[in-house]
Amino acid sequence: MLTLDSNPDGTVRICGRLDAAQAGAAQAFLDRAEGSVVLDCSGLEYLSSAGLGVLLKTQKRLMAHAGQLRLTKVNRHIRDIFKYSGFDNILQIESDE
Amino acid sequence: MKIEPLLAVTRRLAAPVDLTTMLQEVIGAATEVLDAERGSVWLYDRAAHELVLQVSTGMEQVRVPADSGIVGSCAQGRQVINVRDCYADPRFNPALDRKTHYRTRCMLTLPLVDHKDVLVGVLQVLNKKDGVFDEADESMATSLAAQCAVALQRARMIEDLIDGEKMRREIEMAREVQTGTLPATMPEIEGYDVYGMSRPADRTGGDTFDVSCVPAGVVLVLGDATGHGLAPALHITQMHAMLRMAMRLGADIDAAVLHLNNQLGEVMPDDRFITAFIGVLDPATHVLRYHSAGQAPILHFSAAQGECRTYRPTTFPLGAMPAPSVREAVKMLLAPGDILVLISDGVYEYANGEQEMFGEDRVAAIVGANRFAGARGLTDKVLAGLAQFAGDVPQEDDITLLFVKRDMPASGRWFARSFDSIPATVAFRREFFLDNGIADSLAYAVDFTIEELFTNMVKYGNMSRQDIRIELRGAGSGIEVVLVDPGADRFDVTEAPDVDVSRGAADRRPGGLGLHLIRRMVDSIDYEYDAPTRTGRTSFRKTAC
Repeated sequence: MLTLDSNPDGTVRICGRLDAAQAGAAQAFLDRAEGSVVLDCSGLEYLSSAGLGVLLKTQKRLMAHAGQLRLTKVNRHIRDIFKYSGFDNILQIESDE
Repeated sequence: MKIEPLLAVTRRLAAPVDLTTMLQEVIGAATEVLDAERGSVWLYDRAAHELVLQVSTGMEQVRVPADSGIVGSCAQGRQVINVRDCYADPRFNPALDRKTHYRTRCMLTLPLVDHKDVLVGVLQVLNKKDGVFDEADESMATSLAAQCAVALQRARMIEDLIDGEKMRREIEMAREVQTGTLPATMPEIEGYDVYGMSRPADRTGGDTFDVSCVPAGVVLVLGDATGHGLAPALHITQMHAMLRMAMRLGADIDAAVLHLNNQLGEVMPDDRFITAFIGVLDPATHVLRYHSAGQAPILHFSAAQGECRTYRPTTFPLGAMPAPSVREAVKMLLAPGDILVLISDGVYEYANGEQEMFGEDRVAAIVGANRFAGARGLTDKVLAGLAQFAGDVPQEDDITLLFVKRDMPASGRWFARSFDSIPATVAFRREFFLDNGIADSLAYAVDFTIEELFTNMVKYGNMSRQDIRIELRGAGSGIEVVLVDPGADRFDVTEAPDVDVSRGAADRRPGGLGLHLIRRMVDSIDYEYDAPTRTGRTSFRKTAC
């Protein structure tokens, strides 16, 4: 399961597993985001390459309009995925520690 | 010069005779041709650097240092020595004369050097019948000596060959005796995979192994008798037979080991013994009870821990000394995926060109790295590792391996070929991990890899509508996963190109990233494709570091 919610402070809270089955729904949600977006990942358990694709596409779109995607409270497993994929150079990432 | 006797000698020496006959021929010819009373041949013993009086008319065998006395001078200088009056020559040793009640007046001593200039010995003729040896005799004796040397050398080589052949036949017989008792096939044991093999060295030792089913369970044996040749092969065969008989008659392992020890002690020479692991595995309770009589190390790969534990002998070798009693057998519990590794010292002590031994750490590393392989596969991996380690250093000792592996829990399920199946695959994996106590630290990499492979099959299955099967097999600290993709084109994920992860966002495409990542997340990935059924099988393994 995956849920995405907009918090009152403007951040987006993502919870659950962002896999190939959920990538479409996540993409549809993030396609509506504009400007600079902070993604609160404290509830994000899992991310696959399908999820990386969603984040990449979103980042490209936001950057084209001088915005960007910032990820906070990222767990260790997902941080490793970002590192191995080189996404730590593409996205602004803050860990959960 | 008397040419006829010399020619006759040449013909006689050409006949292929044994060394003793050849020596008699040489001495007979020398005394006849040189008209001497007696003759003798001293053969050179290179190892002892001594001259050995082998055959002499009327004398027994004598040994002298190869550089003392007249024979020694002759051997060292490789010159004819003609002594016309022995008792006037200080080099002459009259001891032999006294012993044999003979008086040596004159003596002609000649070096026996073969055509390759190798010193074979010294020829000596004593007491010319009518006077003393003259220059003509020296010349005649020199021609004779040259022929004698070659003939003697040839006879010696033939004798060595015969000795070698005798040894070869004994070794062959020992090998037949020894290998004849090894199990021809492995018994089927519910819940276990067992494989053993033994490869004798050229100079065979006395290794054995056994796997046999008896009322008490499965008897597992690995033994090694000291020494080389027929005797240890017979001793180990004897042990093998006694043990099988005792266990088949329902003897308890403790009693069997005690009586085996005492009985072997009675029949084996005092300096001989047998090191042996003797165990009985109950495949229902998975408890192995064993004695290790001087046999070590015993390796036990624990699937839960992901590493090998090493056990030392529990008692002294069999037959080494009588014992009034034995301690109770040691117990070992084999958990799912555990591997009992019984290997003879011919493997552990196999030295490479740098005199470094193969050792238990290498065996343990190979076992750990191949924990998902079967017992036969593990054997092959250790032998391959050993062959690579040893290079061209030949095998000097028997090599015996016996692997006993308890099956790992396994489960398989079919999933619809759709991204929507992914939550179900995760649930299946979770359930398997929970049921089998598999480390949670492996979950992320396993889910990630399954998903990447599964989505890949969904995307590139080339219109296949058949379900995809996921098989899980594992225990404790490791898991092996197989994804079966029927009706698909060949697509080897292990050959997919890596992604340049250093590029910026604008130049990045998500494609190929999943396969790039999984190759870094798991221990190993393999791909097989069966063209007739158009079925691909991708397997991967992940263990806790």
